Amino acid sequence: MARLGMLIDLSACVGCAACAVACKMENQVPAGASRLWIREREVGTFPNLTVEFRPEQCNHCENPPCVPVCPTGASYQTPDGLVQVDYNKCIACGACVAACPYDARYINKKGYADKCTFCSHRIAKGQQPACVETCPTYARVFGDLDDPNSEISKTLKAAGRQDVLRPEMGTRPKVIYLNAPSKKGLTQEVTRHD
Amino acid sequence: MTEFYSLPNTGEFWHWTNALHFVLVGLAGGMALLAAILTLRQHPERNRYLWLAALLIVLDLFVLWAESPARWRFSHVWLFLGLHPSAPIWWGAWGLALSLVATLAVVLKPWVGFLRRIPEQLPGLLLLLGSLVALAYPGFALAVNTTRPLWNSMMLFLFPITALLMVLAVALLLGSEWARRWESWAAVLSLGLLVAYPFTLPEAARTHLLHEGLLGYALAGLLIAVAALLFRNPRWAAALGLAGAVGLRWVLVMVGQFQSPGL
Amino acid sequence: MKLERRSFLKLSAAAVGAVSVGGAATLVSRAKAAPWYTQEVRQVFSICENCFWRCGIKASVVGNRVYKVEGYKENPKSRGMLCPRGQGAPAQTYDPDRLKKPLIRVEGSERGAGQYREATWEEALDYIAKKMLSLKEQYGPESIAFFGHGTGDGWFVDFLPAAWGSPNAAKPSVSLCTAPREVAAQYTFGRAIGGHEPIDWPNTRYIVLIGHHIGEDTHNTQLQDWSQARKNGAKLVVVDPRFSTAAAKADRWLPIKPGTDTALLLAWMHVLIAENLYDKAYVQKYTVGFEQLAAHVKPYTPEWAEKETEIPAQVIREVAREMARHKPKAVLPPTRHTVWYGNDTQRMRALYILNALLGNYGREGGFYIAMPPYLEKYPTPPLPLEPNAGGCSGPAKAESEPEGYKPRADKGKFLAKSTAIQELIEPMITGKPYPIQGLFAYGINLFHAIPNVPRTKEALSKLDLYVAIDVLPQEHVMWADVILPEATYLERYDDLVAVAHKTPFIELRMPAHEPLWDTKPGWWIAKELGKRLGLEQFFPWKDIEEYLDTRLQSVGLDLETMKQMGTMVQNGKPWLTDWEKENTLPFGTLSGKIELYSEALAKAGFDPLPVYEPPEAAPEGFYRLLYGRSPVHTFARTQNNPVLMEMEPSNSVWLNAEEAQRLGFKAGDYAYLVNQDGVREGPVRVKATQRIRKDAVYITHGFGHKAKGMSLANGRGASDSYLQTRYTLDPISGGAGLRNNYVKLEKAPAPRLKSVVQILKERRA
Repeated sequence: MARLGMLIDLSACVGCAACAVACKMENQVPAGASRLWIREREVGTFPNLTVEFRPEQCNHCENPPCVPVCPTGASYQTPDGLVQVDYNKCIACGACVAACPYDARYINKKGYADKCTFCSHRIAKGQQPACVETCPTYARVFGDLDDPNSEISKTLKAAGRQDVLRPEMGTRPKVIYLNAPSKKGLTQEVTRHD
Repeated sequence: MTEFYSLPNTGEFWHWTNALHFVLVGLAGGMALLAAILTLRQHPERNRYLWLAALLIVLDLFVLWAESPARWRFSHVWLFLGLHPSAPIWWGAWGLALSLVATLAVVLKPWVGFLRRIPEQLPGLLLLLGSLVALAYPGFALAVNTTRPLWNSMMLFLFPITALLMVLAVALLLGSEWARRWESWAAVLSLGLLVAYPFTLPEAARTHLLHEGLLGYALAGLLIAVAALLFRNPRWAAALGLAGAVGLRWVLVMVGQFQSPGL
Repeated sequence: MKLERRSFLKLSAAAVGAVSVGGAATLVSRAKAAPWYTQEVRQVFSICENCFWRCGIKASVVGNRVYKVEGYKENPKSRGMLCPRGQGAPAQTYDPDRLKKPLIRVEGSERGAGQYREATWEEALDYIAKKMLSLKEQYGPESIAFFGHGTGDGWFVDFLPAAWGSPNAAKPSVSLCTAPREVAAQYTFGRAIGGHEPIDWPNTRYIVLIGHHIGEDTHNTQLQDWSQARKNGAKLVVVDPRFSTAAAKADRWLPIKPGTDTALLLAWMHVLIAENLYDKAYVQKYTVGFEQLAAHVKPYTPEWAEKETEIPAQVIREVAREMARHKPKAVLPPTRHTVWYGNDTQRMRALYILNALLGNYGREGGFYIAMPPYLEKYPTPPLPLEPNAGGCSGPAKAESEPEGYKPRADKGKFLAKSTAIQELIEPMITGKPYPIQGLFAYGINLFHAIPNVPRTKEALSKLDLYVAIDVLPQEHVMWADVILPEATYLERYDDLVAVAHKTPFIELRMPAHEPLWDTKPGWWIAKELGKRLGLEQFFPWKDIEEYLDTRLQSVGLDLETMKQMGTMVQNGKPWLTDWEKENTLPFGTLSGKIELYSEALAKAGFDPLPVYEPPEAAPEGFYRLLYGRSPVHTFARTQNNPVLMEMEPSNSVWLNAEEAQRLGFKAGDYAYLVNQDGVREGPVRVKATQRIRKDAVYITHGFGHKAKGMSLANGRGASDSYLQTRYTLDPISGGAGLRNNYVKLEKAPAPRLKSVVQILKERRA
């Protein structure tokens, strides 16, 4: 069985949001909800600056906190390691939304929880997820992490710095970020008290 | 400075209807516990509380149904029959269902013949079990979300204790004198937890609580404090304790939907 | 788990059975309607219209709706990828705010009051034709001006005015955008740069971007190529007063003082020549005027430039040496929008000359030589005038008008042959050199493109006829006498798009479905109007299919075949070596070589070598107003697109964090921008940032709409265009330098507006 994952090269990403719009169109995501968004953050002081453009979406965690809390089995992991929602089993209780450390899920008004599926309907047809296919900066690679010959495995092997979001949560995300622009790794929100 | 193209789903996912559920389920579970104990002790007031418990459970289930965007799709009802022990909501559903069945088994005796053949101790024990699950489940449903720092393991104590405070207060208001001592204890315990809780929080979470929920939290604390200390007039104490517990649960559900920093 | 569940279900079979008698119907009820991609999807080739880049796309259509567009591999523009604007573009077609029927301004109502009555196409076109003919009678055909932008503008800005006989046809993409770089390229290389900047990105090793916002302007192919270049290890230097997205990816960022770019370029030339680092063989073989150039740049030392640019001399030297080390695979690509300070043709000349010193024009890793594809016109009788709205403009030469036709109304104000759109506004007010009494506006946004909005409004109020052809009720559209609602790009054919490229190609736009509402494609409107104007002989085609089929036959194709291909690619001649094989050179200058020293400019009375002019200083207390692009928006045309507006609902004003603190602005505060002439824009959110110098502020272009009929766009953010009440005319190209406008910030309340998401949710409900 495959172990599907995605990597995003932050040194390539310009935060143009082509992926986010492609996702919105492909999946007809309702207004006010997102399956994919860009976080843009500056680091440093003039003129020694970097900017991190960071697309975020469901991480399809290997240890997904959203799955065990589901009371009906609607949230589940596929044999390929994707975290999915069976819309017909979902009661929209919001337990999975609460459990997700990445704000990746939302409740669709039609009565189910929803989120990035890695475009499973496209994968099934042998296509790439919409965000990967459209990316004009070649920042995204999607594929089987278990196949040593896949582009994603080869890229990861050759890569320098690798990061995931919130590693301390123990979720083991399968969206992997390469080349974070800051030497300290992925940026984090500085909480302000103003 | 952080900017976004499109936004992560950081908005409120549980709304006032859900907060209402967290109050009702406390009342239902707590009332079921009182009813179970009274039934097991063959207390003369037990029927009143069994009825109350049944009513609150039904009301809570109705609220859950009415607020669900999936309410016209019943295909999921049987899905609870699957085994999902890692999901507190699954336990909660079973706890409430069991409690409802057990209460009905006792209160419907006068009308349903075969129920009379069952000794009251059996549904009493089942009700005890169900009510304990129903009492415990809200705290677990929140505490299980390790990513929401305001919902820490204190929830496991705060929710059952405040539930007991609520139902004991109701019992007092209904004139059950046996509740008086227990109500005071529940109030004192609730107050203790309420005072201790902010100190168990990581700084970012505490700051968020004080920013977003200070008024509600302080008001709930004040009400419970007065309830815990105003022994002279138990009715007043009960009313204030009830209000404080409702407020506290409400604040914790609404303000606690705070994502931990780190993104 | 599965087994357990099954046994559990068996146990409860009785209970389930009992309940399901009542619930049988709902048991099968599904949560989700079948998504579009599970239905029967047609794929239709087209060309994106959410910017001018014109990527080839494949539209996925179900019934009368396009759900998704994608690039396709065979198209040299998209190559299977699309930018956010392209991805979101279909949402415009289904925008409920669209213009749906022809409208005629209520008789007696004032222009700009927005009072209209619905009309049939017959009535609207008859009305226009009658007015046009009477204007022609009274003032001559040149009294009607034709402005336009977009793929369909060929019908209304090139073809119709040439057939009608008016030289006053103009596109904002010339004098408000590319004119200086195109004119400078003609004077230097004798060739156009063209719409698609011909940089050989994949092979380049060293890139210097000057005010070039790759990543924020998301020109699809360019962004792909630039990313590829960086993946291939090319070094990147970004010169910009602002830490742009490109700067964030750069190896070096040079935060230059705004307006001093020419000084930097001259100093770089100085170092290359003084240190003998330029490509001698190339310069000798392909250029003229090196001696004059060497003498000219001698005084422009890095130390001199440091004082002007505030970039350390040492850094200037280092970058020049690094450039030289990578030559000829070091390149300084020209930006698209080059109308900055008014002396812009000279700056662009300096840029090209520097490139020539690096020996990169026509060589791998530098500029490739773009060739247009072979494609013939549809045969018509000769048009009275030559279309000259332009894009690319030739060097000035003696130019005369055909017998009986007047010269352009802007002629004599500057050297270039192409029309400067902003110079045609004045004659509408003054009647000098002759009256312009009629105006067509196709696709162009008059208020968000042409500087000095108050003047434009005055001009509009004086016209005898003003026709707007558009898709949305933009503010300027609601001033027109007649509004013609055009079908969007997904609902119409357009003329073939022929792209000059490394591999020249032709691409097709065909409709994905019938036009919605009572809208019509541009080609139909032009032909119907032509018929009513007595120009029928110039529109001999039966319909667009026949027109396209005829043109395609000139390249051995037909329309049906092209519909299956989308794009037809031809061979180019990208390198000097390709030309030398044929014993020619690509340079169309008088000397036939790259002209470092321009004899033609000297003869016309201009500096034959680029001269630096310091920018004028900002008034006390004001910041220089810089502007640029958002990756998810194009100009002022996407701010009503629900999908793109959800991505970015407003712009914000970038203000240096220290300045923000000094002025008392906290992150998230709002400000009014007030310019040197007292024009106020906003409220707009303040972005207090480290990413900009203290002497300038920056906003993205296109926001600040004041169009009541555009429910998402109206009132959000601030418009840079409204704040550009002044411009500095470039005497060579006719470009309008827009960066000599200044603003100060005043505290403002947060605007009281419904959020975009709120409006969209209400629409759905």
